[in-house]
Amino acid sequence: MARVEYDDVSKRFPTQDRPAVDHLGLDVANGEFLVLLGPSGCGKTTALRMLAGLEYPDSGDILIDGRSVVRLEPKDRDVALVFQSYALYPHMSVRDNIQYPLRVRKQLTAMERLSKVDRVADLLGIRQLLPRRPAQLSGGEQQRVALARAIVREPRVFLMDEPLSNLDAKLRTHTRTELKALQKQLGVTTIFVTHDQAEAMTMGDRIAVLDAGKLQQLGTPDNVYQRPANLFVAQFIGSPPMNIVDARRDGGALVLTGGWRVEAPRGLAGSDGIKVGLRPESIDLERAPASGAQPAEVLVSEPLGSEVIVNVKLGDALLKIRTGPDVRPDPGTPVYLRARPGGVRVFDASSGAALN
Amino acid sequence: MTTRAASRVARTAAAPRGASWIEALAVHAVFVLVVVFFLVPFLWLFTAAFDADAVAYIRFPAAPTLNNFVRIFTEHDFGRALLNSVFVAGSTMVLDVIAVALAGYSLSRLEWRFKSWITYAVLLLQTMPLSATMVPIYGLARALGLRNSYAGLILIHAAIELPFLVWLMKNFFDNVPRYLEEAAWLDGRSKLRALAEIVLPVARNGIGVVAGLAFLAAWAEVLMMIILIDSQDLKTVPLAFYETLRTQGGYTEVQYGLVAAMGVLYAVPVMALFLMTRRMMVRGLVASSRGL
Amino acid sequence: MLLALFFVGPALWALYSSLTNLALVGIDAANPRFVGLDNYTRLFADPDFWTVIRNSVTFVVGSAVIGQFGLGLALALLIDHAEHRRWWLGTLAYGAVLLAWVNPTLIAGFLWVAMYDFFFGSLNHVFLSSLGASSVDWIGSFPMPAVIVANIWRGTAFTMIIFLGALKTIPPDIYEAARIDGANAWRRFWDHTLPSLRPIAALALLSITMSTFGTFIVIQTLTNGGPGNATEVIALFAFHTAFKSFSIGYGSAIAVVMLGLNFAFAIAYLRWSRARA
Repeated sequence: MARVEYDDVSKRFPTQDRPAVDHLGLDVANGEFLVLLGPSGCGKTTALRMLAGLEYPDSGDILIDGRSVVRLEPKDRDVALVFQSYALYPHMSVRDNIQYPLRVRKQLTAMERLSKVDRVADLLGIRQLLPRRPAQLSGGEQQRVALARAIVREPRVFLMDEPLSNLDAKLRTHTRTELKALQKQLGVTTIFVTHDQAEAMTMGDRIAVLDAGKLQQLGTPDNVYQRPANLFVAQFIGSPPMNIVDARRDGGALVLTGGWRVEAPRGLAGSDGIKVGLRPESIDLERAPASGAQPAEVLVSEPLGSEVIVNVKLGDALLKIRTGPDVRPDPGTPVYLRARPGGVRVFDASSGAALN
Repeated sequence: MTTRAASRVARTAAAPRGASWIEALAVHAVFVLVVVFFLVPFLWLFTAAFDADAVAYIRFPAAPTLNNFVRIFTEHDFGRALLNSVFVAGSTMVLDVIAVALAGYSLSRLEWRFKSWITYAVLLLQTMPLSATMVPIYGLARALGLRNSYAGLILIHAAIELPFLVWLMKNFFDNVPRYLEEAAWLDGRSKLRALAEIVLPVARNGIGVVAGLAFLAAWAEVLMMIILIDSQDLKTVPLAFYETLRTQGGYTEVQYGLVAAMGVLYAVPVMALFLMTRRMMVRGLVASSRGL
Repeated sequence: MLLALFFVGPALWALYSSLTNLALVGIDAANPRFVGLDNYTRLFADPDFWTVIRNSVTFVVGSAVIGQFGLGLALALLIDHAEHRRWWLGTLAYGAVLLAWVNPTLIAGFLWVAMYDFFFGSLNHVFLSSLGASSVDWIGSFPMPAVIVANIWRGTAFTMIIFLGALKTIPPDIYEAARIDGANAWRRFWDHTLPSLRPIAALALLSITMSTFGTFIVIQTLTNGGPGNATEVIALFAFHTAFKSFSIGYGSAIAVVMLGLNFAFAIAYLRWSRARA
């Protein structure tokens, strides 16, 4: 149960040109589940490792509960880390793996340790695995053991480095919900690293989106989805990704590629080069011409069972539109597009920053 | 926020990470001892070889000379010994490489009934120390008339190294993916040609290692030399060494300068080879122990 | 036809190697005296034989177990440690140890003859006298230790290489996890490094024991078994009886014993490594 702060943290590895982490500032509230999200190489794992004590920042500070921890050894920081590879000790049984952190700290008797291990094992449903060795376990089981080892210490902060990425898809979604429920139950501040935006959206209380070492946006999943702070976030979050097209201003309207006129959102700051973003679900599709609806041509429809993604050509842009399961126009069919007013997001073409 | 950060920059920049200086000192001290222990004898070798009045202890020659080298060639026929050693070692290498390449390939690729037996036997043979087999080899050589003959020397040396090298070669071949040959077969190559054109070049490293080791083993071999050779014509370097000792009689009469000169010529090629192909050699040797 | 070619290769070498080893049986049988098992009974009754066995065991324990294995392990650990910190002296040490091993065995023997020589050897002349101590007759007074040290000098590289290789296969994640779990450097070593090395250590030990068992050249050049038979190990014993005393039969019997022991070791070795794999 602790607050975590990153205070203007930067780090550059000697072999690289640009910083791995670039002036990162972040606050994590007590008991919060914060997700560090971003593509590979964006610095999220480095940031996590700095909190764990496995890397040292070049500048800036990291605080837990208001106290700086950068000078402390990992073992003195009272954080637990679940590795992407699980890092289970191969030469020890599962039970010994889990009780290792307790044994090292020498505070409990053997009896007390073992009962703690049993309790955690019950919590995760791995009691029967205790006498086995890591090599004998499946991926999912190994992951739980890694979790157990982290939980048994009752640390102030949980750190997780893409713990689900080595699991197969079905197990991954299942474990996602379990993990989230577990975290809520234990109430420990957790920082979770992933490159999977769906994972971030479902699990995080808040998401910190990083790219190239810089924090792009910090906000709730809702925030990040509906009001992305820049082009990067807009395109990274959401599947299928947000449609981005070039546009220009024309009075109170925006003219998109292909000549589509859309009402400009109120209070829009002026700027010349702009791009407009529309999520697939923010575009309505009509079969018949109607006033104000922009004609376009269907390229292909992708039925997904509960919905259909219609790929549409407009000017030289390809738009993806989400529709109900019965709307499935054939290629070449003309359709008519209408943008939902709340869904128009405008970005500065050069900086990528959101303008509304 | 910014002022806090600024004040912390200086503190965190000096992140404590390196080893304590005591630890560094201790480890370095150990290393120095190790280096000294392992290199000092070589120091003697190189200083004594150039010393006209060489003695057993290390000292820089007052008057460095190549006389020792001259003498071993003129007085003790070292040239012949050297040539013999080179010839035997070289022939052994050639013979071994051919045999080993074939055998290794078969063990690696082909399936036949007694394969596991043979593999097991190879492993077993690999572990036999030479000194145990020297008696029967002597008998065998005498019976077959192989003593005091080049053929005998080469054959026996080749046979000695075979188990180990075959094992090594097999491992190297195992690392060559099968689909390379399969592609060649589909293209119309016969198996033999595929082997020669595709597999061997890829396994080139392995063959290099095997060749090097075969040469080295034959070059360094002493026991077999003692057992198999009596005549002066055939003597190889190790025997030349022993001769120098014997003709001088008694320990204190050893002509250290000559011995050192011989030693230099004997050892330097090995060291040079080693320095050049370090990685390959070590890898080969590690593979042999790991291969099981 | 091509397949036949491939069969020929292995068949040839199989023939060779088996000949050289199975010839033993042939030799024994062809022994002019046909004394059967007499040689063996005589052998086991011979007190010299047991001295030789004792010598061999001492030698192997001292050189292989303590020296080569222990030193090899220690060196590997230190060098690995140094490599992480980029201390170049570690690489130099590695090279030095390796150099001693790569050279022909005979060189090793002679170099140490020079080192140990009573009147002029380097040890006495250079080192001890500079410390003010008087010369020691190494080979005369301490034959076994002298021979052991020389062999350690020569042979340590083998185990060192094996252990270095093994150390590199330990995933670094483990150490990081241990650091976070709270283990300090010593604990990390004891709890993780050593146990991970254990399987390979057993193999290395067996291997080095087997090969040290047959050392011949180093001892022969230094002491030739002497003084008396203080350093006569089994390989030398076989050699001396077979060739110096010309009792080939007896010598063969010794060789058989050697092979038998070696065989036993080899089986254990193979069994163990199979189990591991």
